[in-house]
Amino acid sequence: MIQIIQVLILGLALGGVYALMSSGMTLIFGVMRIVNLAHAAFIIMAAYISFWLFKLWHVDPIVSMAVTMPVMFLVGVLYYKVMFASRADNPRFTDITVLVTFASALVIEGVLSYLFTGIYRSTNPIYATKPFLVGPFFVPQSQVYATAISITLIISLWLFLRYTRVGNAIRATMQNRNSAQVVGVNVAWVSMLSFGIGLAMTGAAGSLLSFIFTFFPSKHVAWIGMLMSLVVLGGMGSLMGAMLSSFLLAVIAAYVSFYWGPTWAPITFYLALFLILLFRPQGLLGKKMDG
Amino acid sequence: MGTLVIENIVAGYGSGPNILRGLSLTVEAGKTYCIIGPNGAGKSTLIKVIAGMLKPREGRIIYKGELLNGLRADQVLQRGVCYVPSDRSLFPDMTVKENLRMGGYILRNSRLVEKRIEEIFAQFPILKEKSSQMAKNLSGGQQQLASIARAMVLKPELIMLDEPSLGLAPKVVQQIFGTIATLRDQGLTIVLVEQNARKGLENADQGVVLDLGTNSFERPAVEVLHDPRIQELYLGKRRQPLQTENTQ
Amino acid sequence: MADKTSSEIAVQKPRQPQISKTSLWLRNTVSTGIFVVLALFPLLQIAFDGYNYWLHMLLYVFLYVIMATSWNLIGGYAGYISLGHNVFFGIGAYLSGMVFVFFQISPFLTAPIAGLLTMLGGLLFGLIALRTRGSTFIISTIALVLLVTELLDNWKLTGGTNGLPMSMITLEGQYAKIPYYYYLLVIMILSIITSYLVRHSKFGLGLRAISQDEIKAEVAGIPTRRYKILAFGISGLFIGMAGAIWGNYLTYLRPSIFLPVNIGTTIVLMAILGGKGTVSGPAIGAAIMIAINEFVVAKLGATELNIVVTGLILIFVLLYFPEGIVGTLKAKNLLPSFLDWD
Repeated sequence: MIQIIQVLILGLALGGVYALMSSGMTLIFGVMRIVNLAHAAFIIMAAYISFWLFKLWHVDPIVSMAVTMPVMFLVGVLYYKVMFASRADNPRFTDITVLVTFASALVIEGVLSYLFTGIYRSTNPIYATKPFLVGPFFVPQSQVYATAISITLIISLWLFLRYTRVGNAIRATMQNRNSAQVVGVNVAWVSMLSFGIGLAMTGAAGSLLSFIFTFFPSKHVAWIGMLMSLVVLGGMGSLMGAMLSSFLLAVIAAYVSFYWGPTWAPITFYLALFLILLFRPQGLLGKKMDG
Repeated sequence: MGTLVIENIVAGYGSGPNILRGLSLTVEAGKTYCIIGPNGAGKSTLIKVIAGMLKPREGRIIYKGELLNGLRADQVLQRGVCYVPSDRSLFPDMTVKENLRMGGYILRNSRLVEKRIEEIFAQFPILKEKSSQMAKNLSGGQQQLASIARAMVLKPELIMLDEPSLGLAPKVVQQIFGTIATLRDQGLTIVLVEQNARKGLENADQGVVLDLGTNSFERPAVEVLHDPRIQELYLGKRRQPLQTENTQ
Repeated sequence: MADKTSSEIAVQKPRQPQISKTSLWLRNTVSTGIFVVLALFPLLQIAFDGYNYWLHMLLYVFLYVIMATSWNLIGGYAGYISLGHNVFFGIGAYLSGMVFVFFQISPFLTAPIAGLLTMLGGLLFGLIALRTRGSTFIISTIALVLLVTELLDNWKLTGGTNGLPMSMITLEGQYAKIPYYYYLLVIMILSIITSYLVRHSKFGLGLRAISQDEIKAEVAGIPTRRYKILAFGISGLFIGMAGAIWGNYLTYLRPSIFLPVNIGTTIVLMAILGGKGTVSGPAIGAAIMIAINEFVVAKLGATELNIVVTGLILIFVLLYFPEGIVGTLKAKNLLPSFLDWD
């Protein structure tokens, strides 16, 4: 019994970080109908930033978020401007975004690989290896901090979207792009901002992941596989959905890992993806999309 | 109060063909215009061009002596021209109140927006009742009303409605046109695009027939309504080959 | 002003320029000539030796022509982009390779069967995946290749990430590559012929209708679901066969040879670069990409920058030349006739 709860705790502790990773990706889709398959590559980019800040100047990875988030925000705005800004009216836009972002991911991987080689990296702050002990249960400190920060960020995002003028403009654009334009929202600007915000989330995620997992340039492939599953399962464009699917799959993967071994955990995500496509392609909380 | 002058507008979508081919029209202040015509004639396109949602390829739009074409949608809104798109077009996962608030988006003063919303609620009590309901849960007629109300938050002088009766039951259509009549009484300039030609013309001062991207006919609505040719083509009488009149 | 209404004006279709009889003759002759040269090329090796590098290069080209041309059936004709199409490559290779390792039956015999089984797998997967629209479909193809990679990486029977070695089964010494060469040449010709036949059939017309507007196609009575699944399955047939041969040719069976996402992306790039939706496009794209790759490797060495180049070219082509070489040339009426098979 203790073991079952322990596994649950470990799963939940990871779920928060997964939610942070997938929320950025689903936000970008919701506002701009862009499927950002480079999302994981950007996360790794941010992880490298945190890594070098830690290695060269002993900057704590959590503190490094103050750097990675703004930097990735700018990267996002630039990337959006170069790639997508002028093409948003193309009817085949979403399909093109899939291919373009996937290719971008390869480019990022190649550059990172060239610059930093394929050596496995991670940052090692003091809490990276220490656990919290609560009664008979333990949970790694790193994951607790990461999940706590992730949840804080997600709630902040939610509040921002709900209660600020710009946030409402973003929500409006997500729900009905045309009507948003009609009431005077500058949807081009909102799109650019949203992409920046989505990538700022990858900045945070990268910094947090740098002390939870080891990473290397081609790891983005494994993570994008997981992210795709999370986003599709939750429903593309739904932040609530991303949260739900992240915690759900993190817990399920934890149990799979416990009973059948860690190599089977990734397969959980892919199976979940295929199952949801079979039975409910719009995801748990997504809407039926057209074309 | 001003006149809207549309001069020789040529417009189309993307790299596609011209939908509007040299359309000219003068909309006088305080009057209600109903634009009818077959599909693809450019009725919705015209509205979008005026609202700043679509840039015309040629021609000018002048409102109160100022050039409107080339302005962004929010700039057009600032000059008192509002647009109610077809098919309700509310924000489905926002409440009625949030939708109205979005209507006032370009007014950065939130207190002013709240005041305007209160005025709207006074004028349309049903919306006050539903104010915290999700827009997608409203009935078709209520959504259309909310859509119009959302445009009213900015207190426009000129309001354009694209197919307000679309998909609504006859009784509800009656109510919507009742609302439009109220707007008329308030002195607004109204431009209406309607598939339901009869209903639209019955509630307008002037009728404009749009075909092939130019207006082929502009007369007082009553005359358009009773014109035998129009009756055949758009109001459903017996078939005969069309002979349209050239307007200048 | 107009004196007819929109309802009275007849729509006039511009007439398609017909390919002239001399161009047709030229096209057929040149193409046949190319294949004859390819068929005779190994004789140089048999007679003089020293051509193994070129044989290997040609084998490489044949392989990717097969994969890009086959991909084109579903990605170009039907417009359903599969980014994980090399999964068929891996499945075909493993099916045939495992049979060889455990039962010593030659891949030259089992290749067609591997191809058919791969096709069957494609049909089954298509049943699930093709219920989704554009971007979700692309995602599911990536997920498939990743899933198969995970499975093969962790399965002891297949040797996990290290894979299984095999022996090359045919002729000795300088003749070793030649059987593989001819086998792949034949598969390549078959795949191109299939692509041509599909393009000019009612099936192909239906696929193109699907790529333009699936809803309209369905309303028009085209059995869209059946067509899509069929196209997806057929696109796996030759790739599976090629995989079977390639596995034995490299004498090694390992997930990292067949299944990295990079290969799947390269296939898509080749087809799009050459011109997706055309018969000759993918082949041209494959040849050009391999030539570029050889050039880059010669100049810069086989570094990680290779995938940077692949990615950048793909992005560039997608954004600025989505019709590819053949498509763009055709639109400007500059297409040399021997490439015009559409």
